[in-house]
Amino acid sequence: MIKKRIIFALLYQDGYFYLSRNFKLQKVGNLKWLINNFGFGKTSNHIDELICLLVKKNPTQEDKEVFFKDINELRKKIFIPLTLGGGIRNFKDISNYFENGADKILLNTALYEENLSKEIAQIYGEQSISLMIDYQSNENNIDKIFINCGLEYKMVLSEFFIKMKNIKFGEIIFNSIENDGTGNGLDLRILRKIPEDWKKKPILLMGGAGKPEHIAEGLKNDDVSGIITANLFNFLGKGLEESRNMSIKQKIKLANFSSELIL
Amino acid sequence: MDTQICGKMITKTKVGIIDYGAGNLGSIYNAIKYLNAPTEIISSPKNIDQFSHLILPGVGSFGTLSLNLKKKNWPDEIKKFIKKGKSLLGVCVGMQLLFEQSDESIGSTGLSLIKGTFQVFNETNNLPLPHIGFNEVIHNKTPIWKGIENNSPFYFIHSFKITKTNDDVVTSKTTYGDDFISFVEKDNVFGSQFHPEKSHYVGLKLLKNFLELQN
Repeated sequence: MIKKRIIFALLYQDGYFYLSRNFKLQKVGNLKWLINNFGFGKTSNHIDELICLLVKKNPTQEDKEVFFKDINELRKKIFIPLTLGGGIRNFKDISNYFENGADKILLNTALYEENLSKEIAQIYGEQSISLMIDYQSNENNIDKIFINCGLEYKMVLSEFFIKMKNIKFGEIIFNSIENDGTGNGLDLRILRKIPEDWKKKPILLMGGAGKPEHIAEGLKNDDVSGIITANLFNFLGKGLEESRNMSIKQKIKLANFSSELIL
Repeated sequence: MDTQICGKMITKTKVGIIDYGAGNLGSIYNAIKYLNAPTEIISSPKNIDQFSHLILPGVGSFGTLSLNLKKKNWPDEIKKFIKKGKSLLGVCVGMQLLFEQSDESIGSTGLSLIKGTFQVFNETNNLPLPHIGFNEVIHNKTPIWKGIENNSPFYFIHSFKITKTNDDVVTSKTTYGDDFISFVEKDNVFGSQFHPEKSHYVGLKLLKNFLELQN
């Protein structure tokens, strides 16, 4: 049967990878640093997929080229599914993202562009589209969606489920701005806000995972297909391996990647 | 990936990866290069005689890709290639295209190398669709599966599947609500619904076995 997924997200801007806390970015290191200090090549043994996001507001074409250059280097020795996103604004961007290694592309700000998802689905198939919803609740427990690196308010979540009924996509990610980078755990409460007909596609959660227990807890939920974390400090190194092992011990169905295999 | 791999060049092997507008070819290309086999991305069937193996990757819709293949006369050239005893591997939509039709694009036809029609997954199973993630493949221990444990996980990302084909085709099975065919072999034609280039070590192992079949 299908397995659940543990996904790592790398946040990127101008040659560097970043930590994020409530969407405020802190520079950590460049690609060389990432590979040297965290043995990134080994990390890919313990995750199901990798997401690389260009987290710059209104990135230029040049910004994207710099992003692609590092991504192409990174993916030379990693043979796992890769989602690329951040900075996609129109259909012209799409082929660039695919050509530079995307198996799936991620739509966040651009998902509200009428017809864009339809155009992408027609050529590449709807399974190639991941939607990302960055949200935050206010004091009245109303969840609001923000776009463009969390800087612009778009609409309330409940409105989204009505207005965006016709959007074409493969899976949807709910990313909690409030929990982002806090290490306090994921916002599982959001699952109760998702209407049943939106649960027909895989749902993934992101934002707040700080330790293996959080990932296991999230994956246990029947509505959740995968958990995403971008927490470089807490998870690169041993963290992802521990998360995977802990989840498997708790009888969560995850793929077993044999690293002993001699080719 | 710090695994031990065969350091020797696989001799006489040269892999052509068909570029027909089906999205990301880089991953397959990187995988074949990692396995130390000479490889080239080719956008026309001119000079395909130089290759020992062809790979038909596929990210996209059946209809669009079937059209693209025909534009450059790939169907005839691929059939000639296979008749010479050389091997072909279709991946994901590339596997769909080995067959006759897909409900994804009514009216379009594939290469018809294998009998069958792709259909959408049964929605009454209440499983999220598309089928995205790692899932287990139950295989028949044929040479292409050498060194790969049964029930190994491979990466799937698709909305359409095939359940029936003719008897002379060896099939491997995966379950997602319903059972469906996740890998096919008919003589020297192979199709994988999953992405071996995205499936960690077992995926690379499968690709290596494919490359070594014709030695």
